[in-house]
Amino acid sequence: MNNPLIVEQAGNSVITDLGRTRGPAFGLPVNGALDQFSAKAANILAGNPDNDPLLEITALDFRMRATSDLLIAVTGAPLHLTVGGRETPCWEPVSVRAGETVAIRRITTGLRAYIAVHGSFPVPVLLGSCAPDTVIGFGLRLANGTALPTAASLPPVSQPHFGLPLYRLGFAAPQFRDHLVIDVTDGPDVTEFGATAELLYRSTYTVSPRSNHIGLRLGGLLPERQTTAEVLSRGVPVGAIEVPSRDELLLLHRGRGVTAGYPVLAVATTRALDLLGQARPGHTITFRKTTVAEATATHRAACLELERLRGTVQTVFGLLGVGTNAGWRELPAAAGI
Amino acid sequence: MSAPTLEIHESGDAALRAVAVSADKEANWSTVHSLAAWLATAGVDGIHGAVPTYDSVLVEFDPYITSARQVRAFIQLGMRQLEFVGGGLRQPRHFDVPVVYGGGYGPDLERVAEQQGLSVAEVIALHTQKSYLIRCLGAPAGSPMMDGPDFPHPVPRLKDPRLSVPAGAVSVAGRQAVIAPAVAPGGWCVIGQTPLVVLDAAREPLVPYTPGDVLRFHRIDAVEFARLEGRPLEATA
Repeated sequence: MNNPLIVEQAGNSVITDLGRTRGPAFGLPVNGALDQFSAKAANILAGNPDNDPLLEITALDFRMRATSDLLIAVTGAPLHLTVGGRETPCWEPVSVRAGETVAIRRITTGLRAYIAVHGSFPVPVLLGSCAPDTVIGFGLRLANGTALPTAASLPPVSQPHFGLPLYRLGFAAPQFRDHLVIDVTDGPDVTEFGATAELLYRSTYTVSPRSNHIGLRLGGLLPERQTTAEVLSRGVPVGAIEVPSRDELLLLHRGRGVTAGYPVLAVATTRALDLLGQARPGHTITFRKTTVAEATATHRAACLELERLRGTVQTVFGLLGVGTNAGWRELPAAAGI
Repeated sequence: MSAPTLEIHESGDAALRAVAVSADKEANWSTVHSLAAWLATAGVDGIHGAVPTYDSVLVEFDPYITSARQVRAFIQLGMRQLEFVGGGLRQPRHFDVPVVYGGGYGPDLERVAEQQGLSVAEVIALHTQKSYLIRCLGAPAGSPMMDGPDFPHPVPRLKDPRLSVPAGAVSVAGRQAVIAPAVAPGGWCVIGQTPLVVLDAAREPLVPYTPGDVLRFHRIDAVEFARLEGRPLEATA
C-alpha cells in the first residue's frame, strides 16, 4: 500500500465505478457513474480497467493532495484543473508529484467530473461494486481530511526541458452544452398516452433543481395517460420517462427504484443517459425519437471510440514502461537482422 | 387452462420487458419468476440480470456485448426450455415476523381501521391470520411485496407521503402488504413495526427471502420489541 491521497476540499464527491449491475435482481438500483463515457475514459487514460473505482465530483470545487507520485486523468464536464498550481489539460494522462495539490474549480456547462488514479483505490464492495447506495447507506462519501489509500505509485513522466507535460494524446472530448438533444425510444406503454405522447417531441423541457441521481424532473408540456386501469408494479429500466404528477416529467437515472407502478412513455438511450448525467438545473432538453437498433449502433460507436483511446494509451504507456516493472527490457529484434 | 403466452416489449436499448399473458394470475406470476430463475442460472455474457414482479420481468443487458434482438431470442429459448422441463419454483422457506401494532410503531393503524369500517383488533386479526406469499422484491432495497390481508376494501395511500419511514415498518396499501428493509420515504399506511433486522448490507444476499417464500406476522408488545430489537430475520423452516 502506498501513501494515501489526502482530500483537502471534498465538495460533493464520492468513490464510484460503473455500477452494481447485479443489484436490480436484489431490489437495489444499479447506481454508479452517471456519465459512464467520461468515467470509462478517465480510467482508460489512467491505464486502469474501465470498471476500477474512481472519484465522481458533482458541481462543487474539489481539492486533493498527493503524498506519493501518481498518474491521474480528469474527465467529464469542462472545468479548470491545476496540478501543483500549473494549469493542466483534462482528458489527458497527468503526472502528479508527491506533495502536489490537484484542484478542480468552476465545473461549467455540465455537472460531473471524474478523476481516475493509476492503480485505483482499495475500497469496500457490495454485490461486486463500490458505487454508493443512498437508500441502504452503502458507500464512501469523501470529507475534508479523508485519506484515500492508493494502490500504485508511478514516478512522474515529463519532458526533461521546460518541465512540459509529456502526454498529448489529443482525444476529442465530447461537447458539453446547456441545451441537450436527448434520443429516446418508444416505451413499452406508449400507447396508453394516445395522441398526447407526441407532446414529448414538441415541447422544450427545463431541468428542475429537484433532479438528482435517482431521476431528472423536467418541466414542460406533459403527455397524459388516457387509461385509468391499475398498473401492477414492474421493473423499470434506467432511462424510463414517466408522468407521475401534473407538474413534471420524471426521467429515471441510475439511482432509480427498481420497480414502479407508472406506465413508461419512452426510454432514453444509453448514450443519452451520459448526457443527462451532465444536465444542470436550468438546462433545457428536447427529445428526439430513435429506434433501438440506431441507439445500439450509437452506443457501440462510442464504445469503439474508447477502445481506440485504450489502444493509443497502451502504446504510449508501453513505450514509457508505465505499469510495467522498472528494468531493462528486450526489444523485439528488427526484421532482417 | 392454457399456459400463458409471453409478450416481449422493447424498453430502451439496454432492457426488455417480458409479460406473461393469460387469465390466470398465478400462472403469469410463476411463469415470469421461473423465466427469471432460468436466466439467472444460464449466466449469459452481457445479461446483467432479471427483475420479475407480478406478470412481467425486466431483463437488463449490456448493449455493447449483446443486443435487444439476441436477448429476445434467448428469452424465447428459455420459455421453450421451461415448457419442456417444467418451471417449478423451489420449495418455499417460511419466515415468522413479530410486529408491534399501532401507537408510535404503527401510526396509521386507526386510520386504516376507520377506513375499512373495522375495529383496530379486527385489522390486527386480519393481518396476522394469513400466510403471505412473497410475490417479488420491490423498492426500496429488496422490500418483500405481498398480496395484502383480506380487508373489505383496498387501502388508499397517504395523501402526503412521509419523507422518512423507519426500517422494519409494516405497511399496507391497495391490496398489498410490505415490510420496509431500510429507511426510505413512503406513502403506504404504516400499521406496525418489527424489531428484526431485514436488510444486512454485509451479507449476501442482502435480504434473507426470495420471491416464492412465505411470511407470517404475529403480534408482540413493546417489551418483547425491545428484547428482539436488532436480531436478524431468519427462515424458520
